Amino acid sequence: MHDFLDNYIRFLTSLSFNHFVRLFWFYIFFEFARYFVLEFIILNFVMLRKYFERDKYKKAKKDLFFEYPLISILVPGKNEGKHLYKLVNSLSEQTYQNIEIIVVDDGSDDDTPIIGKSLEKAGKIDTFLRNEVRGGKASGANLAFRYAKGKFIVHLDADCSYDRDAIEQIIIPFYMDDNIGGVGGNVMVRNYKESLATTLQTIEYYDTISIGRMVTSHLGWYRVISGAFGAFKKDILDNIGGWDIGPGLDGDITVKVRKLGYKIHFADEAVCLTSVPRNFKILAKQRLRWDKSIVRFRVRKHRDVMYPNQHFKFSGFFSFVENIMFSIILNVKWYFYLGDMLYNFPSAWLAIFFTNILLYTGTNYLKYILYSLYRKRKNAPMSYFLIYIPCMVIYFGFYMRVVRTIAHIQEFLFKKSYEDPWNPLKTSQHAKKMGL
Amino acid sequence: MSRIEENIEHLDGSIKFEGISFLLIEHLDSLRVDEAQFHEAVIIDGKDESFVRQIVKRIRSHAKPEVYLKPIFLLKGVNIIDPLVNQLIDGSLYSLEQIPYIKDEVEKLLASIKEIQFSRAISFEAQMIVKMISFLHSRHKTLLEPIPYAYSDVNYTYPCLSVNFNHTEEFAVFDILDQAVYDGIFTAEFVDRIYLCSQCSNGRMSYREVCPKCNSSNSSTDDIVHHFPCGFVGPMSDFKNEIDDELDCPKCNKRLRHIGVDYDKPSVIHTCLNCSHKFQDYFVKAKCLTCSHDNSVEQLKTKQINRYTLTQKGVYAALNGYVSTSKDIDEIIGTVKYDTFRTMLKYEIERLKQTDGSSNICAIHINNPNEIYSSIGSEAQQGMLKDVVRIIRSNIRSADVIAFQDSSTIVLSMYEIPKKIANRILDEIINILERLMKTAFKGVQIEFVTNVIKLEQTISHELHLHNLTKDFT
Repeated sequence: MHDFLDNYIRFLTSLSFNHFVRLFWFYIFFEFARYFVLEFIILNFVMLRKYFERDKYKKAKKDLFFEYPLISILVPGKNEGKHLYKLVNSLSEQTYQNIEIIVVDDGSDDDTPIIGKSLEKAGKIDTFLRNEVRGGKASGANLAFRYAKGKFIVHLDADCSYDRDAIEQIIIPFYMDDNIGGVGGNVMVRNYKESLATTLQTIEYYDTISIGRMVTSHLGWYRVISGAFGAFKKDILDNIGGWDIGPGLDGDITVKVRKLGYKIHFADEAVCLTSVPRNFKILAKQRLRWDKSIVRFRVRKHRDVMYPNQHFKFSGFFSFVENIMFSIILNVKWYFYLGDMLYNFPSAWLAIFFTNILLYTGTNYLKYILYSLYRKRKNAPMSYFLIYIPCMVIYFGFYMRVVRTIAHIQEFLFKKSYEDPWNPLKTSQHAKKMGL
Repeated sequence: MSRIEENIEHLDGSIKFEGISFLLIEHLDSLRVDEAQFHEAVIIDGKDESFVRQIVKRIRSHAKPEVYLKPIFLLKGVNIIDPLVNQLIDGSLYSLEQIPYIKDEVEKLLASIKEIQFSRAISFEAQMIVKMISFLHSRHKTLLEPIPYAYSDVNYTYPCLSVNFNHTEEFAVFDILDQAVYDGIFTAEFVDRIYLCSQCSNGRMSYREVCPKCNSSNSSTDDIVHHFPCGFVGPMSDFKNEIDDELDCPKCNKRLRHIGVDYDKPSVIHTCLNCSHKFQDYFVKAKCLTCSHDNSVEQLKTKQINRYTLTQKGVYAALNGYVSTSKDIDEIIGTVKYDTFRTMLKYEIERLKQTDGSSNICAIHINNPNEIYSSIGSEAQQGMLKDVVRIIRSNIRSADVIAFQDSSTIVLSMYEIPKKIANRILDEIINILERLMKTAFKGVQIEFVTNVIKLEQTISHELHLHNLTKDFT
């Protein structure tokens, strides 16, 4: 141990600037530059813009309440009955009340039909629809959408709950900019104390959703309106025919809205609380699904956003490139970096590895503390997470990277997303045949 | 002419055979039900079912055991299929020549009826129980079976009990039967369950599937179609094109080819043609055909229909005529027992033989007790009777006595005053009572009838009492 420390100090003191850049290029150019420096700069722009647009925001809010349009809230799902009461309770508390709640039970085999029907009878749900045969999340959402009467459509997950002003906050952006076609809500973790997995996901959500989406939204690159909380203009959804077959249907519909020329906006003050997977095994399954869908939808189905045709939009192009770049290419580059270090600096790999850990951990602390100042809405004490920050290197740097690699291999080589039981085979096989 | 036929003696409206007198009822307007008590049995000319039903009901619902227990035979003109009638008659004959063949049956029934002793039950429930068990016992029955009955407003009838109620108040039989079970007269065994209107307790309802929003039953139904390739879901009408009978997806324009392969029908949707509401599950509503109240099925009152068996206690009560229920009216302050009243009347007649005074007895009778007691309930019934006694007591002298003959008939003495004054006092009492009842029991029409008779030294106290109340039905 003593020898290691001696060697390590010697290694650090011998590092020149050029040497440092050569050894930690991956960290410097990708992780630090993209995920901290650029993000931090943009974040300040976001805040400035919010400040300067505060009157516009107030007017939009006034316009919303003056027009007071009907908002259709769609809640498709299977076996979600146990969550419904809590969900409708949080919706009944909303500051915006001209809403219709349409719940679709997609072939549940538990008590969901009984619970749904009784809530409909009690007037807590406006319409409860049941498909006796499961058709998948998209078919559930489309059925609800078919009978929605509102000017705006809000898509929710049944296992989430919402801040009192969440519906109001997610609709206001539509009144700030007519060209906004879809708005994503800010998804936070409810069960952050349940396990190490949920705690680490909470830190991840703070970073990638609460802050990350503010940045990508500002740049016009915001790419996934979360299915847990997203809003759309109804006429736009009419135009694109609702949701296509999943998994990954929330990202898919976001691209489709963007392709029509509409902007996608992130409403950081429209807060939704969700329960995240409580162990790493379930989390891996979820992330495999998400990462496979990036390949399926970004690289295959919607690759046309790259082509310079009449529908070409720079925002769509950059959103696509950013997504491909940092989700897929960066992942490959990381392996390239690993190979580079092991091949060219085999004797110093331990010191490089250790330094990388220190660099990442330091950055994570810096980001966490700095970004906390920018987050208006906090659902957990900031100090609670401080001791878990060092784990994020393992979580992001290794666990997530391995999961992502497996997902990309499975999807690139075997198109595994079409076999995902999350979607019924009867629809997936058609999607596969048609390249959807 | 055979020897038997020779012995049948045709009188005006009756037939006599070997000392047994049969009241023959051929027309509705010819019937004074009270007349039945002066004959051993009744023969009804069964020309049509509704006529027979009316006559049987009037006899069996009569307040006096001398009438309601009377053996009834049907002279069959038409085939009577009404189960209520068939349960309440004692037999039938095809011609009057067959009377000798029912003689034994009549004698047997009369002997059974004779065994029964009657005491005056005061509470309405007790009176009904007495009627029911005395009828069952006199017919050697121990089982009271519910019969599905089209003319009943609660869908089932217990003939010897239900006959006492008109159709709008028939649900009261359940309270009486529950009381009888509670008091150990009957044991109950489950047969069925019925659903009654939450407002008027009627069982005749029209069940409809209605829109959950506006309650209209005017709706249309469409299949929901799910197109697998593009995930579009909508009603069948969305897929129908106007050119041919084929189905085309409105989202991806593909033709639907094969159910289960490229599309399926996961559910149906109903559209209300009144308010355009879309829904999958109808509400079921039950509209009462009597009061028009539209009940949701959860609101309906449920009632268990039981088969009842007379217990030993019930048999004993039938024989001894003593039924005291937990709902019986306690001795009301200001009254004496009916037996005491009779004894005092007997002594008063004896006293009048020694003097030249003028004494009277009066009766106040509630003409529609079944209707009133079934609608106000037994608690209110006691309160009402206490009020009635209080008013009578405050309008008569303290030396006069009041007694209940039954829950609907009050007798009182007005000794040592002329009949004219007795009448005036009684009119005054009725006047006050009617005003009080109008205020206290809104919506319930209480009909009082009265009678005053002057005591005659030559007539027995029993006959006085009979004459006093004979016109009350």
